[in-house]
Amino acid sequence: MSAIDSLRKEFESALASATTVATLKAVRDDFLSRKNGRVTALLKAVGSAPADERRALGADANALKQAIEVALDTREAELSASAPVKGAMDVTLPGRVPRIGRRHPLTIVRERVEDIFAGMGYQIIDGPELEDDWHNFEALNMPPEHPARDMQDTLYLSEPVPARGSRLATLLRTHTSGMQIRYMEQNQPPVRVIAPGRVYRRDNIDATHTPMFTQIEGLVVDEGISLADLKGTLNTFAERFFGKGVATRFRPSFFPYTEPSAELDTQCQSCHGSGCPLCKHTGWIELLGCGMVHPAVFESVGYDSEKYTGFAFGCGIERLAMRLYGIDDIRMFYENDARFLRQVEL
Amino acid sequence: MKLPLDWMREFVEVPDNPAQVAERLAGCGFEVASVDGAVIDFEITANRPDCLSVYGLAREAATSFDLNLKDEPSGKARTGSAGIPVSVGDPGCGRYAATVADVTIGPSPAWLADRLTAAGVRPINNIVDVTNYVMLEAGHPMHAFDAAKLAGPEIRVRRARKDESLKTLDGVTRTLDETMLVIADRERAIAVAGVMGGAATEVSESTKRVVIESAWFVPTSVRATGRKLGLKTEASARFERGADPTAPARTLRRALDLIEQIGAGKAVGGVSDVCPRPHEARKTVLSRARLARLLGDRVPDNDVQRILTRLGFGPTPATDGWAVVVPAFRIDVSREADLIEEVGRHWGFNRLPATFPPLRTPPRPIAPAVARDRRLRRILCGAGLQETCTFTFMEREAAQPFTTGDGQVVAILNPLSEKFAVLRPSLLPGLLDSLIYSRRRETDDVTLFELGAAFLPAGEITRAAWLLTGERLSHWSGNAGAVDLFDAIGIVELIGEALGVRLTAESTDARPWFVRGRAADVFAGSIGGGSERRLVGSVGELRADLVSGRGLAQGAGVVGGEIDLAALDTDAVASIRRIDPLPRYPSIVRDLSLFVSDRLPAADVRATIRSTAPDTLVAVHEFDRYAGKGVPDGMVSLSLRLTFRDPAKTLTDTDVQRGVDAIVAALAARHGAQLRGR
Repeated sequence: MSAIDSLRKEFESALASATTVATLKAVRDDFLSRKNGRVTALLKAVGSAPADERRALGADANALKQAIEVALDTREAELSASAPVKGAMDVTLPGRVPRIGRRHPLTIVRERVEDIFAGMGYQIIDGPELEDDWHNFEALNMPPEHPARDMQDTLYLSEPVPARGSRLATLLRTHTSGMQIRYMEQNQPPVRVIAPGRVYRRDNIDATHTPMFTQIEGLVVDEGISLADLKGTLNTFAERFFGKGVATRFRPSFFPYTEPSAELDTQCQSCHGSGCPLCKHTGWIELLGCGMVHPAVFESVGYDSEKYTGFAFGCGIERLAMRLYGIDDIRMFYENDARFLRQVEL
Repeated sequence: MKLPLDWMREFVEVPDNPAQVAERLAGCGFEVASVDGAVIDFEITANRPDCLSVYGLAREAATSFDLNLKDEPSGKARTGSAGIPVSVGDPGCGRYAATVADVTIGPSPAWLADRLTAAGVRPINNIVDVTNYVMLEAGHPMHAFDAAKLAGPEIRVRRARKDESLKTLDGVTRTLDETMLVIADRERAIAVAGVMGGAATEVSESTKRVVIESAWFVPTSVRATGRKLGLKTEASARFERGADPTAPARTLRRALDLIEQIGAGKAVGGVSDVCPRPHEARKTVLSRARLARLLGDRVPDNDVQRILTRLGFGPTPATDGWAVVVPAFRIDVSREADLIEEVGRHWGFNRLPATFPPLRTPPRPIAPAVARDRRLRRILCGAGLQETCTFTFMEREAAQPFTTGDGQVVAILNPLSEKFAVLRPSLLPGLLDSLIYSRRRETDDVTLFELGAAFLPAGEITRAAWLLTGERLSHWSGNAGAVDLFDAIGIVELIGEALGVRLTAESTDARPWFVRGRAADVFAGSIGGGSERRLVGSVGELRADLVSGRGLAQGAGVVGGEIDLAALDTDAVASIRRIDPLPRYPSIVRDLSLFVSDRLPAADVRATIRSTAPDTLVAVHEFDRYAGKGVPDGMVSLSLRLTFRDPAKTLTDTDVQRGVDAIVAALAARHGAQLRGR
């Protein structure tokens, strides 16, 4: 083996064992140092070689030097690329997420309902939670001692409290219908409004009842409004709220302020109509109450009940939210446990 | 109303299939609570007292299945007087029928007792059972008295006397008043009319002769009396909704037939029927056009005729519809819309088309307050506050610390419990309970807000409130420190910015729920300037004893505030402010570090600077406040950055220095401020 070959072999094994930038520098010095480098020595020895060999030897020695330089540079680049960088950070640590709050699930569902109806041309209105007997009952075809007043066990104030308009408030509103009366007292048809808000009933707290809950009611009044229009509107609402293909049915019912009155059921989303505990084995779940506005209500607000007809509907936001989020205890909405609220979408 | 199906099948041959009958009637407006064997439990709505009966439901079933309905049992004709004088002395009773029978008290035959049991009524004795049987069959309540215990014997229908008392069948002695209608004998009240009989005249095993009543009372009178006495009975439920005014004599004859049929006794005479207010059949019209207009579809004439006839109405075809006689038992039907409902529910709502009402006028915009609340919610959520919903009623004790002035709160007359006795005077106590609820359940850093109504004796106010505790931001690299008063004040500034209202805080002692010295009133003035100032809220650090009193350990600082949203000018919210053109010339910044009294509000320093400075001063802001080493006792070092800019030229140092000198001189003169390092 020639001296060049054996030097190459030695370099290759030295290179293989150089795993740090420092040991690689030692290898470089050992082979290429100007003073003591072994390749440097080999090149110097070329001059003393016999003349006929000098040329070939010189070429080989230079080639070896270049090869070693390239190999060292390559390895050095590799080593420095994998060496820890000064100031490097562990990017797998958590970042500083800006604190962000979430809307309450009842707000989210309420706004979702509002937006569906706003998209159908409804105005979103608001009104007082403390009401007088006229707006909460009498104007809605529930005179004093009307048996339907029992359907809504009322919380009364110990003392009347000043309220919007000329009447003193005497009770906590049992439904948001009072807002519709106020609206009709101040606006002429056509009417197309949606009225959300908190309402109060004297119900004991359990998994499906709270004495305060959120209701949203809609009212449409114009010439020629029909029960068929009510069906079309509410079917559209059910589809936009629950998704396409949700089956609905209308059952006759009774509310003093609508005639005819109905309840709208949607097919149980849990069993798809085959019957399960959620829908009490009926395949259907009640969604809302609705009906054609009773002419007596129009007469209360001074509308011409011969000329105008209308429909109204109302539903509980908590019930909708329970179905949407899969919650079986209404009380969770009012506990405000952070572990509950932070699961709500942003 | 529990309906044994075999009982209904006496009147109409519906399929012997409870599930099928239940489903049909549910589709006609009679919600089914349960089906238990051959007994269907219906929830009867308040407008249909006639269907609190087997026969009433049979009529509905006959209409739905289009089957013939047998005549209602009305007893055989009886002649002669009843054998007891009856006088009606009050318009609260429209009709009073009575009869007398000699009886042998004993148990009812099994078939009768079984039917009552199936319908949910406990059998008592043959006479009481017959009255209950007829009530369930016909929907008309009746009552039997022991004739031997009646003074006279005589029946007088009259108002109760002041403080008259009566021990009712449930064993409770009740004090009556002059608004209540009673059944009396010659001497005393023996029953609360339409509600409950008296114990003294109750039919017992020793009874030999009974007086049976079947009457009609004005619904509102029965309801008011029942409500005052806190009594609800099978009888009052029917009378207050409206019983059939033609039923009394008929149901008495039916009862006598049954008594004789089961061998419980024998009628002494006929039926006395006092009818001061004879029933007049209501007549109304049904227009074909209005029927189609309200339902949104045409129902064929013969279906309209069939439905109304089967339901007991008397429709007579006319050119544009029908003239309709309303049966006496349909107390709920008085006008055309009611008839349209009758046709609609038996025709089937589900058969109607689904259409969409045309929009003939442009939709109106969202109400300003609704738009404001939506916007504010999103901004507060973005600022890291979690929205909550809390109950608006609360314990009186928890509300009291959050009141000002005379401490008055709005109280509820008939609260469910002491926990819900008053309406919240502030949103803060509810937020505090929510905050503590989360703190005790593994969440230390809690930042909450709520938008909602607070209630004062002067009325209801829409407010935004917020409450913060814990760390500003928790991170492995170190926390950002615990929240303090200035986090709460920052929310005030954010709300002002969001709603386009300038909100400023001023120290106050008038908010007793906050720590003294760490409480501020919040005032609003429009951003455009203007001198009008309105008190709109408060901000501060909650008193430690209030926090610990609601169950949170000492040491956790809780800060928060509350703003009356209605007091802010919502018009300003709707208007969009013009954007100023960007400055064309550079600004010059000067920092001032001053020693001032530690009691001097920064707002006063700012006001002095603004009132002294040339027009070129465009901004003042505090960037440091320090007390301690190097600062004399009772003083603080306050550092402010003043920014000067002229819209028309580049300012020179000389221009600015003149202004700064004037400011420093004014601060020294007015507040004794010393420039640091001089």
